[in-house]
Amino acid sequence: MANNTIIQQGHFTSDGTDALINLRSDIDWIEVVNRTNVEASTQWAGTTWRWERGMGDDDAFTDFHAAASQAISTSTCSTGYNGAVYRGITLIDTSDKTPGAAVAITAGTNATQPLYSTADTGNLIEGSIVRIYGTDQRDVNGFDFTVDTVTLDTSFRLANTLATAPGVVAGAAGYWRFIAASAAIYDMMYPAKRVIANITQAAAGVVTTLVDHNYVTGQKVRINIPSDSGMIELDGQLVTVTNIDAGTFSIDVATTTYTAFTYPVYTVYPFTPATVIPVGTDISVTSSTYPAEKNAAYIGVMLGTSDDAAIALGSPGGTAADVIYWRAGKSFNVLT
Amino acid sequence: MQAQDPVLNEAVKRLGVSMRQTEDELTRDMLAATASFINCTGGVNGDNPTEITRFDVGEVVRTLVGNDANTILDNIEGENKFGTAPTRDAYFALAHTDLTTNLDAMATFVSKAEYPAPMKALRSEWGTSGNLRFLVSSVGSSVASESDLGDTVYNVFCMGMEAYACVEQDGYSASFIYRPPIFDGPLALNCSVGYKFAEVPRITNDLWIINLRSTLS
Repeated sequence: MANNTIIQQGHFTSDGTDALINLRSDIDWIEVVNRTNVEASTQWAGTTWRWERGMGDDDAFTDFHAAASQAISTSTCSTGYNGAVYRGITLIDTSDKTPGAAVAITAGTNATQPLYSTADTGNLIEGSIVRIYGTDQRDVNGFDFTVDTVTLDTSFRLANTLATAPGVVAGAAGYWRFIAASAAIYDMMYPAKRVIANITQAAAGVVTTLVDHNYVTGQKVRINIPSDSGMIELDGQLVTVTNIDAGTFSIDVATTTYTAFTYPVYTVYPFTPATVIPVGTDISVTSSTYPAEKNAAYIGVMLGTSDDAAIALGSPGGTAADVIYWRAGKSFNVLT
Repeated sequence: MQAQDPVLNEAVKRLGVSMRQTEDELTRDMLAATASFINCTGGVNGDNPTEITRFDVGEVVRTLVGNDANTILDNIEGENKFGTAPTRDAYFALAHTDLTTNLDAMATFVSKAEYPAPMKALRSEWGTSGNLRFLVSSVGSSVASESDLGDTVYNVFCMGMEAYACVEQDGYSASFIYRPPIFDGPLALNCSVGYKFAEVPRITNDLWIINLRSTLS
């Protein structure tokens, strides 16, 4: 690990979610140090993680405090310690849209934020994106959703509220697939279309999307609403976005007197959902960060973490407010 | 270059294909991300979207015509030849090669061999239905597990004239670069060959392009 192979380094403060690091080129190794854990010497806290070319996804060598002291023990994330395995480090290419493996859904509630039961939540954390299919909720099947409230190997919930519940429970025949760790790496091209979960009747209608939208105030979008979704008066209108939060934005159209928006009924299929189509920006959007269109794909690494506090303590993505340093490098040759 | 270095020549040929295919794939991904879409609903395979049908072609054409999109290709006049039929002026429909069986099965589909003047068909063309002429590619757009039943969904980009453009940045579209060994290292042992391009694919009028999504029957 000669210093002259280091291609990039940096530090950040964890927000408690998987950390995504955009790198300038491919790497053969990365070392991550959690300064907060190093100094605190909390028992079972990970301090250092090293990923080397040849290791699998979500793995790393790890150093940790086996006792509440500065003594260090070692393991790997995939083998783990203290009866648990931990999240590791994964090379990512955000242009690769291959879905994760199919995982069975054993039940799902009929609610505007359905809760899905599964025996394996994999690497899901709040903000992850999943694709659901094959359930009895045919108005949900085939779409991507941002999730929240992940209970390890038990359940996850759809984060963004639907206008109306799916109309039926999900049954035990469906599946979910992991699509992306967050909305930040969901889109290869930015901005991108979104399927609409709800539009309120208000002086400035509020649009909720199934996947967090990433739009910024000033962007121009067209709203397409098939007749199955109600609010047909808004169909085809070109509107300006005012960002509210990750899953919602308001538009410069009074929808108060419009027909109520409804999420399609599960018995009405096949159907086309209501969508938001980005078409441009107004003059208030001057930042080059938000152009009319850009290829947002990159290569880098993901430092995994978990909503489960004990696992986050031993994972390189850390827990919220942890200060994390990293350095990554390239070798002249990787011999096998 | 050909006579001097066959290895370099082979690399150049492959990189040339890679360059243009990469440009096409970026344009494809832009269209998949930002074009309005309609799910096929006229089929009977029980999925959402269904397989593509003449009904769905009609829906797309009606929408494009209603949005004042101009067709790209002229009609081909009928001629007194057995087994041929005149073709309408048409919008382009860019599809995946996996869809060819479903296209052949579509009511009123006319393959390019049945055109009165097949030489007017494009090399990648498969045939026509309504006012769409289908061009197919093995790297056409598709998304795994995105249907109701978990099957692959195929995107067919149906577009009128000037619906999208590739905007060249920095005054050039693409550069193919070769640096001979003497300029590439102090010992003149290795050469460099590669390409770079600076283009932004962009929909110019979102009303003139529709992504018709379908599954296989």
